Amino acid sequence: MPEPTAVELRDVSVHVPRRTEPVVSGVDLQVGAGEHVLLLGASGSGKSTVLQCVTGVVPHSVNARLAGQVRVVGRSTDETSVVELARHVGVVAQDPTSAVCLPDVEQELALPLENHAVDPGTIGARIDAALGAVGATHLRARATGELSGGESQRVALAAALVTDCDVLLLDEPTSMLDPAGVGDVRRALDTAVARSGPAVVLVEHRLDDVAGERGLDGLPGRIVVLEAGRVRADGPTGAVLREHGAELLRAGCWLPLDAELHALTGATGGLEEPRNRAFLRSLADDDGGSPGPPDGEVARPGPAVLRARGLAVAHGGTPARRRRRDRDPAPVLLGDVDLELRAGEVVGLLGPNGVGKTTLLLTLAGLLPPAEGTVDGARAGMVFQNAEYQFVAHTVAEEVAHGLTGPVAETVAHALAEHRLAHLAAQDPFRLSGGEKRRLSLAAMLAHDRPCLLADEPTLGLDRRDTVAAMASLRRAADGGKAVVLSSHDLRTVATVADRVVVLAEGTVVADGPTAAVLGDRDVLRRAGLRLPPLVAWLLEHAPAAARRVLGRLDSAAAEPVPVGAAS
Amino acid sequence: MSAAPLARRNPTVKLALVFVVSLAVMFVLDPITAAVLYLLALGGVALGTRAPARDLVLAHVPFLAFALGVLVVNVLSRPGEVLWQAGVLRVTVEGLSVGAALAARTLVVGVLAVGFLLSTDGVALVHSLRQNARLSPRVAYAVLAGYRLLQDMPKEWAVIQHAHAVRAPWRGGRPPRGPRHLGRVVFTLLVVTVRRGERMAQALESRGLGLSPRTSWRPVRVTPADWLLAAGVLVVLAAVLAGSAALGVLRGPGALG
Repeated sequence: MPEPTAVELRDVSVHVPRRTEPVVSGVDLQVGAGEHVLLLGASGSGKSTVLQCVTGVVPHSVNARLAGQVRVVGRSTDETSVVELARHVGVVAQDPTSAVCLPDVEQELALPLENHAVDPGTIGARIDAALGAVGATHLRARATGELSGGESQRVALAAALVTDCDVLLLDEPTSMLDPAGVGDVRRALDTAVARSGPAVVLVEHRLDDVAGERGLDGLPGRIVVLEAGRVRADGPTGAVLREHGAELLRAGCWLPLDAELHALTGATGGLEEPRNRAFLRSLADDDGGSPGPPDGEVARPGPAVLRARGLAVAHGGTPARRRRRDRDPAPVLLGDVDLELRAGEVVGLLGPNGVGKTTLLLTLAGLLPPAEGTVDGARAGMVFQNAEYQFVAHTVAEEVAHGLTGPVAETVAHALAEHRLAHLAAQDPFRLSGGEKRRLSLAAMLAHDRPCLLADEPTLGLDRRDTVAAMASLRRAADGGKAVVLSSHDLRTVATVADRVVVLAEGTVVADGPTAAVLGDRDVLRRAGLRLPPLVAWLLEHAPAAARRVLGRLDSAAAEPVPVGAAS
Repeated sequence: MSAAPLARRNPTVKLALVFVVSLAVMFVLDPITAAVLYLLALGGVALGTRAPARDLVLAHVPFLAFALGVLVVNVLSRPGEVLWQAGVLRVTVEGLSVGAALAARTLVVGVLAVGFLLSTDGVALVHSLRQNARLSPRVAYAVLAGYRLLQDMPKEWAVIQHAHAVRAPWRGGRPPRGPRHLGRVVFTLLVVTVRRGERMAQALESRGLGLSPRTSWRPVRVTPADWLLAAGVLVVLAAVLAGSAALGVLRGPGALG
């Protein structure tokens, strides 16, 4: 008898309450034992719902109606409970903080084995093997509360694989991680999956990051494209990206660089290919009709609106005030920070994880007292990494109105229109999509019209369309006369929008200057552990003065159908 | 903690002993027996946990306050043979005796609870309850996942508090601290935590929590030393009660009449 197909969806449609259109409709999908599939599609195309059909969460745990047949290793999910399906299916989800549930790593990995009634005598060895496969042997004795995001996701991966599942579902496992975490999880996936050999269904936005240095070979061999709940394309990765690259770009997906360039020029071979290079050069040379002055000239910013002098920052603010019995004062993270934020300027704040970017922003916003030195200027606004944390109201409109004075109704209407939220005015903020939440948090903060806006990782976890929209909001705010700071790990995004870059490392500011100059300085990059994406590195080398313009044009090219020579 | 003798004992056995002794003391209503039991329990806890005297004293504060309250109320309000009177204030012999007994009883239960908490790790307790007291794995692991959520709450509280303060009107250059502001922060923390809880529940389910049969890695056992501890405590308790009865000191709930 042949081995049953790992996952089989036949004519599957999913309806949820309060939505007339099905979330997923007429989906047919078969994944063979050990096969690797990448599910691709914009936000809201139904990727997560397809995964939930496989785990059995649809229809068992959420209020949704499932039509059609879903089989996992031959068992119909309709007749099998979620827990029974867990015998075959392992899951790694997006949010690293909910990825691990128990107080220590060892127990986290023992739990699935105990649940599967594995002989207790072999559990210790299997925990070791699973942690070894994800490169996390050293984490075995750690408390889960102390893990970084990348470490949490690796432990979650080990916990999913420790029971030798038949199907591994990966729901954007790296989208909330910094580049170091992405790299760790990617390597862990490669080795661990190769070792235990499950079928893999991967949902991921940042394909370049997931693919790593191996390019397209680093991706699963097969891509299924979803569009508005339907399968738009299904085939070998290279072919699907070649044929559907332009529409995927348009739909707001990040594509691997090679595929992105192919969608725009029709030429394969990425940055090595002369036609692609010529295309990028043409974007760099053509400055006619483009809004805004060329790079370099933007460095004529307005007056300083926020000034930090001799600033030192610490978790929880002033070390002395926090001192209590047998508790050490909060350590100073950054010292000797002199910073001037000027109207009309977008400043990128870069640095490795834990260097103190968030703490610096909180101190600049007046939310933490400086450990030393001063911050002068009018009160700054700030948007937080997790947009939800900022929500205070029960509707989108009330959210924007919160804390406003003056002509509130007009300000709210204007802010909603500007951030494309008007149609959502009566919605609950917590029920929005990731991109909508980000737009709302920006709209609500910008409505206050403070002279300075501080944005902490505003694009984390967003797809490309939402990233571009968030960056456009920041740009407009700066062009409208605000000083804008954004902290980010995404160097392509920073290079696209920032006039100036401040790099934090070694407990202080190690560089502060025009974006192209700072990002072109290898010494600075090395000290801060920053790695340029290949496209940014190529542009800084070959067209440093126009790098930003090219990146901006690539973003607008992605949003509009301009496939030069690519059949779509 | 691991070095202390009580810390090495089985958490379920300790919990059961706290329960049994507390229950027995419920029926003791004379101050002398209760005080003797308190002193013995205090000695046992001090030796068993090796806790610094300072910690023990601090842990006593809430129980002492409660015991004092019970004593004062009984002394001043219980009818009986008047010992001392000034205006409306009246102290009776019965009030003094019953009040002191109830106060000492409060301290017995208090010091046992302190000893239990100082010597027991919460996670170990849940594992022990699951294996030794047949607590269902679903409940046990839900409690452990809740413990994880609680661990992260102070951090999330601080972030949400900042995220809300940044848009709120400030008075005198200071972020708001009023009840409305705190209420909003609590609401957001609640929403965020509930959603995280849901995701964790899905993660636990995807790891097969609820499948049967299941096995237990590193079983938590009740050892001979645990039985010895239980026997020792019960023998001392019985001896004190018997001795007190033989001396005619022991009084039960009849003392309330």
